Amino acid sequence: MVSALDRKLLREVRATGAMLIAITSIIAVGVMCFVYMRSAYYNLSLAKFRYYNQCRMADFWIEVKKAPLVDVDRLIDVPGVTAIRPRIQFFATVDLERVIAPLNGLVLSLPDLRKPIINDIVMQSGGYFTDRRANEVIVNSAFARKHGIRPGHTIHLLLNNRRQELHVVGTAISSEFVYLVSPGSLAPDPEHFGVFYIKRTYAEEVFDFEGATNQIVGLLDPAHKETPGEVLRRMEVMLEPYGVATSYGLRTQTSNQFLSDEIQGLGVFSTIMPAIFLAVAALVLNVLMIRLIDQQRTIIGTLKALGYYDSQIFLHYTKFAMAVGLFASLIGLGLGYAMSHFVLSIYKMFYEFPSLENHIFPGTYLGGVAVAVLCALIGSLQAARLGLSLKPAEAMRPKPPPQGGEIWLEHFSGFWSRLSFGWRLVLRNVFRHKLRTSVGIFATSLGAGLLTCGFILTSAIAFLINFQFELVTRSDVDLHFKDEQGRPALLEAANLPGVSLAEPQFDVSCTFVNGPHRRRGAISGLLPHSQLTTPRDVDGERVRIPSVGLAMSSKLAEILHLRPGDHVTVLPTQGRREELHVPVTALSDSYIGMAVYADIDYLSHLMGEEFAVTGVQLAVDGGELQRNSLYREIKQLPGVQSVNVRADVIRNMEFIVETQRIFIVFVVLFAGVIFFSSLLNSSLVGLAERRREVATFRVLGYNEWQVGGLFLRESLVVNSLGTLLGLPLGYALAWVLARVYDTEMFRFPLVAPTWVWYAAVGMAIVFALTAHAVVQRAINRLDWLDASKTKE
Amino acid sequence: MSASGPATESGTLLQIEDVGKTFQMGEVAVEVLRDISFDVRRGELLVMVGPSGSGKTTLLNIMGGLDTPTVGDIWYGEQNLAVASPRELTRYRREHVGFVFQFYNLVPNLTARENVFVATEISKKPLDVDETLEMVGLGERMDHFPSQLSGGEQQRVAIARALAKNPQLLLCDEPTGALDYETGKNMLRLLVDLSNTLGKTILIITHNTAIAPVANRVIRLRSGEIHEVHDNPHPQPPEEITW
Ligand SMILES: Nc1ncnc2c1ncn2[C@@H]1O[C@H](COP(=O)(O)OP(=O)(O)OP(=O)(O)O)[C@@H](O)[C@H]1O
Ligand SMILES: [Mg+2]
Repeated sequence: MVSALDRKLLREVRATGAMLIAITSIIAVGVMCFVYMRSAYYNLSLAKFRYYNQCRMADFWIEVKKAPLVDVDRLIDVPGVTAIRPRIQFFATVDLERVIAPLNGLVLSLPDLRKPIINDIVMQSGGYFTDRRANEVIVNSAFARKHGIRPGHTIHLLLNNRRQELHVVGTAISSEFVYLVSPGSLAPDPEHFGVFYIKRTYAEEVFDFEGATNQIVGLLDPAHKETPGEVLRRMEVMLEPYGVATSYGLRTQTSNQFLSDEIQGLGVFSTIMPAIFLAVAALVLNVLMIRLIDQQRTIIGTLKALGYYDSQIFLHYTKFAMAVGLFASLIGLGLGYAMSHFVLSIYKMFYEFPSLENHIFPGTYLGGVAVAVLCALIGSLQAARLGLSLKPAEAMRPKPPPQGGEIWLEHFSGFWSRLSFGWRLVLRNVFRHKLRTSVGIFATSLGAGLLTCGFILTSAIAFLINFQFELVTRSDVDLHFKDEQGRPALLEAANLPGVSLAEPQFDVSCTFVNGPHRRRGAISGLLPHSQLTTPRDVDGERVRIPSVGLAMSSKLAEILHLRPGDHVTVLPTQGRREELHVPVTALSDSYIGMAVYADIDYLSHLMGEEFAVTGVQLAVDGGELQRNSLYREIKQLPGVQSVNVRADVIRNMEFIVETQRIFIVFVVLFAGVIFFSSLLNSSLVGLAERRREVATFRVLGYNEWQVGGLFLRESLVVNSLGTLLGLPLGYALAWVLARVYDTEMFRFPLVAPTWVWYAAVGMAIVFALTAHAVVQRAINRLDWLDASKTKE
Repeated sequence: MSASGPATESGTLLQIEDVGKTFQMGEVAVEVLRDISFDVRRGELLVMVGPSGSGKTTLLNIMGGLDTPTVGDIWYGEQNLAVASPRELTRYRREHVGFVFQFYNLVPNLTARENVFVATEISKKPLDVDETLEMVGLGERMDHFPSQLSGGEQQRVAIARALAKNPQLLLCDEPTGALDYETGKNMLRLLVDLSNTLGKTILIITHNTAIAPVANRVIRLRSGEIHEVHDNPHPQPPEEITW
């Protein structure tokens, strides 16, 4: 049988009504965030772990110009290296019959016969190479999916300046390309960039690489996995004669870095978000419980008089809170499961796994419930203790009337005397209920902070795209050559159909050294007055490309501890590879990568050339027809390694923005829950406490709207104070995030256009009014005649 | 009458010796009770009268283990309530005392029956809840909530709640205070009957001196001191008194 006290509890829970919905929703959102973020975290981690194991994911990558296998095999003797696999890697353009636009691809060699290898593939359809033909290809699944390529089809790739026909035997994925992005871009673009695996023997033949390699992947022993720097340097020294282009460990491998950053971010947010919500929930519950205990003074006294032990009474009241916590957390679990499902479906659009399932991790779900119940317990502790400290004899005596002294504002008599009666009442209430007011301000400031931060992030992404793809890069089509070329290549490009402007670009990959600080990178040689790439500073102002020295990205300068005027040592990894000392003349800003610019003539001379280009940027006029003939011609151009169309890049970035927007909607919703619930709770608690007062006003002839106005003004005062604090809080939060995500690959600008502030304040007001609508309804329905009779 | 009684001979249930109570109100100490000594005898109906503020409730609270005296002793058998721990006092209240409060103090969210259950659930040898409610004349309205009951009915629930625990001692603070004349009289009738039929020890405190004649013994309190104690060998039935 349910005990009488438990029955009382159940009825009270039900009678708490709207207040309970408020608390329940905050806790539920907190638990939901905890569950879905933790679940996504574990599911992604698990999928990553399994996938990496399945494919024997490499610990390091080294790219060289061309090295004989016999010498490369000696790398295995370097201490720390446990296995290596030399392979052949080239970029190529892809020619599909029905696709006019040029497409890019990465070509990788695989053993002719299937065997376990480092960076293996997982077949998705078809099968591995056969011995029927040499020119077989396995295409990465996403590209194949986008273009409807299936085993049995043939495709054409421009390999080593020759158009080659390849037979598709299968489609596959690999842990190397969970997040597949073409060099220099941020988002996967499966439509325009694919990976093509060909037989090792075939690759040797078409690229003239018999007995040679240009990329070594390998494994390290556990002691060196995390810190491969030293081992890499040793191997670089051994490979020095063959022109080391780059080397990196797993941590900075592009796909892995994107994936690991995402997982790490989830880990952090899965702590922060629930913490915010549960902290607010505990405080709001605290307000509610204190009010409940206060209201039940005599009941508590009576229970004590009847002979209930303190522990029983304590349990009774904490049970109330825990019942609320438990109930809310169950809702949170359901929402969390659904949300985790949804989030994983979004991840599947960006990350390619053999399987990414929404496993239920019992620990996470139990943890969610435990955290919620604990938070409810904490929220009720103070109130329950307050109930215990009541002496039974005292609890039975009527409560002393609430003290009604002056509040400090009244000392400013000039100000105070000018206030209307209503405002005085409102301010007295706000200042007299210090706990409730502070909780309200705290909660709304977190809500406003969340909103502001969310809005700042949205505008940051928009700003970044505009900065990078409208301000800095303005070309319509970029061509990258396989090798250095001379002036004729530029002229040829300029004469392509529809091209209104062609500007040369000369990229030199190199290592920058300043004392102990070194970084791999590249210098882009541009025309001093280039129109199609215009380096910018933070304010978006054009940075002039110096005739002598470098215009360096401020992020790289920071890493290398360089200031304008300093000299930096440049070790080119191509061409003559002589050590150069050049001044850093100017700083530029970019949010993707770490660009370094120089005058193309200056850079050519540094490299001992008269005039060299590795790419051409094109501005294109004309309509679709002209475009199509341009694309057709580009496909015929020999020596082109990749072609990038800016419109595609932007369209692809916009897809990211769209996805981002979904999360912003959630942030706004979550913030709304905090605002709505905390304001609703404090107004309803106030109303419950002041039923008599409200009744008195009604008896005196005030209508329900005038009475409601008093409550509205109170909640607006709290709301505006909270929002005012929340705006800088949100900015600070965004600042912290900008610091956390300030990586070499990607940074986001901390921009807060005015709309951010207006939107945050606007939303805050909307939420406050929505909450008030519920309160007003309660006032309209209040049986004030009855209330004026109740003793309280 | 309950079999489990303290080992007191001579029919003394509670022995109050030189009890005093002082409340500390910030700087000032207010002496509310002074030199109070008397015995409560087993099975008697005791009425304590005194003007408002004379310390009746304070004394009742001390006798019921809701509060402790500043000086003096209260002996309940071998146990001195004056020095008992909060836990011992709780057990004393739980097992031996029933309270009836002036404002009934029912739990609003529980029905009449459930309000009685709240008390019986924690007692060792409770009476049957429904029977008790019938005894106080509330057999019909057991499933009503307090807000659906009149003041007199609520007071009956409160009495049933105190009774159902089957305590030695029933302490009633102004049981008629909030009731109209007729209902008040009925309430007195009920208490007198309970004393006669069940042999309960009942203490009624009131500022209404007219009630005194129904008692076996009357204690008059004035300004925190016992002004007079007198035995009443022939108590009047409640119907015959007026106020
Ligand atoms: N907890 C307390 N703190 C301070 N003073 C108290 C406290 N409890 C009672 N008093 C004071 O002690 C005095 C006696 O109070 P008590 O309630 O015992 O009187 P009473 O005889 O029951 O009066 P009434 O008939 O009005 O109920 C009063 O002056 C009261 O103000
Ligand atoms: Mg009293």
